[in-house]
Amino acid sequence: MTAETATGTGMEKKQPKRKRNHTGATHLAGYVFISPWLIGFLLLTLWPIAQSFYLSFTEYSLLEDPVWTGMDNYAKILSSDATFTKSLSVTFLFVLFSVPLKLFFSLMVALALNKSIRGMNIYRTAIYFPSLIGGSIAVAALWRNMFGLDGYINQVLAWFGIEGVGWISNPDTSLGTLILLNTWQFGSTMVIFLAGLKQVPQELYESASVDGAGKVRKFISITLPMLSPVMFFNLVLGIIGSFQTFTSAFIITKGGPINSTYMYAMFLYEKAFKHYQMGYASALAWILLTIVAVLTIINFMASRYWVFYESDGGKTK
Amino acid sequence: MNKSWPKSFGFLMLVLMLALTACSGGGGNNVGNNVNSGATNAPDNQTDKDTGGEKTLSIMWWGPDARHEATKKALDIYTKQNPNVKFKPEFMAWDAFWQKLPTLAASKSITDVLQMDAAYIQEYVSRGQLEDLSDIDLSGIVDPTVIENLKIGGKLYGIPLSQNAQGLAFNKTELDQYGIPHPHKDWTYDEFFQWARDARAKLPEGKYPIGDTTTWDSFNYYQTSMGKEPIMSDGGKKFNLDKDLFLTFYQTYEEFRKAKIVPPAEKAAAFLENDPQADPMASGVVMTRGATTGSVSALEQLMPGKVGVVNLPVGPAGGGWAQSTIFLSVSANSKNKEEAKKFVKWFITDKEAGQALGLTRGIPINPEIYKELEPTLQPKDKLGKEIYDLSLDKALPFYSPAAGFSEWVDTYRKEMEAVTFGQQSIEDAYNKIDKLGKELAAKAGGQ
Repeated sequence: MTAETATGTGMEKKQPKRKRNHTGATHLAGYVFISPWLIGFLLLTLWPIAQSFYLSFTEYSLLEDPVWTGMDNYAKILSSDATFTKSLSVTFLFVLFSVPLKLFFSLMVALALNKSIRGMNIYRTAIYFPSLIGGSIAVAALWRNMFGLDGYINQVLAWFGIEGVGWISNPDTSLGTLILLNTWQFGSTMVIFLAGLKQVPQELYESASVDGAGKVRKFISITLPMLSPVMFFNLVLGIIGSFQTFTSAFIITKGGPINSTYMYAMFLYEKAFKHYQMGYASALAWILLTIVAVLTIINFMASRYWVFYESDGGKTK
Repeated sequence: MNKSWPKSFGFLMLVLMLALTACSGGGGNNVGNNVNSGATNAPDNQTDKDTGGEKTLSIMWWGPDARHEATKKALDIYTKQNPNVKFKPEFMAWDAFWQKLPTLAASKSITDVLQMDAAYIQEYVSRGQLEDLSDIDLSGIVDPTVIENLKIGGKLYGIPLSQNAQGLAFNKTELDQYGIPHPHKDWTYDEFFQWARDARAKLPEGKYPIGDTTTWDSFNYYQTSMGKEPIMSDGGKKFNLDKDLFLTFYQTYEEFRKAKIVPPAEKAAAFLENDPQADPMASGVVMTRGATTGSVSALEQLMPGKVGVVNLPVGPAGGGWAQSTIFLSVSANSKNKEEAKKFVKWFITDKEAGQALGLTRGIPINPEIYKELEPTLQPKDKLGKEIYDLSLDKALPFYSPAAGFSEWVDTYRKEMEAVTFGQQSIEDAYNKIDKLGKELAAKAGGQ
């Protein structure tokens, strides 16, 4: 890109007008080609983001024009909003359990699917399938039927004479069912792990075998380090995704009982579209962004101690 | 493989994260919606201007499928009678309607005609979104006292469509089976509570006489029936949550939870009204539940022939409500106000339309239309009428949450839920609910 521009300007100096026009036209053509995306990005992403930043300093009910209130929203959220604290702690709890669980589970499945057996593709498809219908409303409804008071889980428990609780309607267990649901939707994480596993050079395992390493040893000393960049990728995306969990809480538990599953994203949604406090909700969105950004930066800083890049000469920094 | 995961990849992730978090946040969404609704509404404004005699009325309502089909039929009839008027209908479920309407209001593109509900009309009137319809002559169509009751600040902003009332449905088959007497009209709260205690003794385990309560309106019925002011009045500027009554009411329910007169909180949280398996009453778990004229038919369809109805318990001042709660309103920004006004009057006057609409919005407000429909009524429809007739003479006004109190309504439910789960005392719940209510009232008064 830089090289091209350099020669381009060089040519402009030597050559008369015609050439310059040609280069301009080429650039223009390029912009025209990406314009659908560019316009979409500017109008539907960047502009709304900028708007929401402005609105976060206002009081805006949608029915009336926004009124500038400075830092009021932020001050109120951070100092005296008990629901904010509650929903944030619910969300942290959710992230804390669901992210490692999902990583572990999808890695195990990926390892199992990384063998060469006849018909492996069918297994892979079958196991990936739940993720296709993933975070959809249908799955959320399914979950409600499974974990409800008269759901399938309790019916199975009843065969063994155990009287189950209302997993979803009990404040102690409701968040757990959502974490389980999130873990079950391991498909895309698993596929990325699988792709990573495929790329671990076989000769490493071969030479380790020559040195007499066992299966566990190979896993710890070869698979894990070679997989660490993929794991890092999954970890970062997993954290970001979990912070925004909405559908399951909204459909299955409606945030209840007594706010035990009142996820941050749901709090934000209700502030905006149920109580029409757009300014307040925008401030909440920006606080969420800040939290996620800080966590991601921490993740990146911590990554140098455990993520292994072969391209760096095989050393973690 | 490691070349394919270079460190610069981190930059991509950061960008991704920004896009994911910020644009899926509420602020992003709302602006996006504005853009969208603006775009979709622009074309029909255009046609309004261009087509002189031809008019297109946009109209929006919420409801179930049956109502959608019936209303579309009625619109066709209007077009047949007035060939120069076409419609651009939009119809959806309740939740979607009230999510969409504020965004339309923000972009000043509310449909020409729209269905309105008593719970929200004050909010939209106070923001100047609805047209004054006082000059529409409804004499001989709607009872003048009904119209007087619906006026907001002396003006009429919604044409009432139907009569509605709140009552209590009970499982008459099972009550008979266990030898429990049916509740009688105008029972008092004391009789209601005592009936529940007596019924407990006769019912087998796993069945409960009445449901628990966590919502503000149940207590508001109690407070107003005792002759006190409603919790919210004067457009939300006055807030009055009577502490003594609050404690009495909820202590009774606490006693009921211990005595298994109401189902345990965990069970109550799993109920889903009108769901064949999870409806508290249709599932056979609870013997009674609240039902309105408009909603009781859905319950009757789940348990045909088993539903009986009674009005809400009353106190010295009366109890329950019986009045119109669904309206048609006209947007204050409409470019076709005259035609829209003509249409809303036609909607409750025309006999052919009346036949097409049937009881899809409750008992038609216009007695003449109702008379024509009466011979063809089904049992499920008659129950609705019965609730209305039982409630009418003792009815108090319909109290809706004041503008800006939607969050308080949620807080009330959540704090009371914590009480039913035994995680909080009634007094603590009172203090929190009362504090937020007073804050909101002060805010409403300050404006």
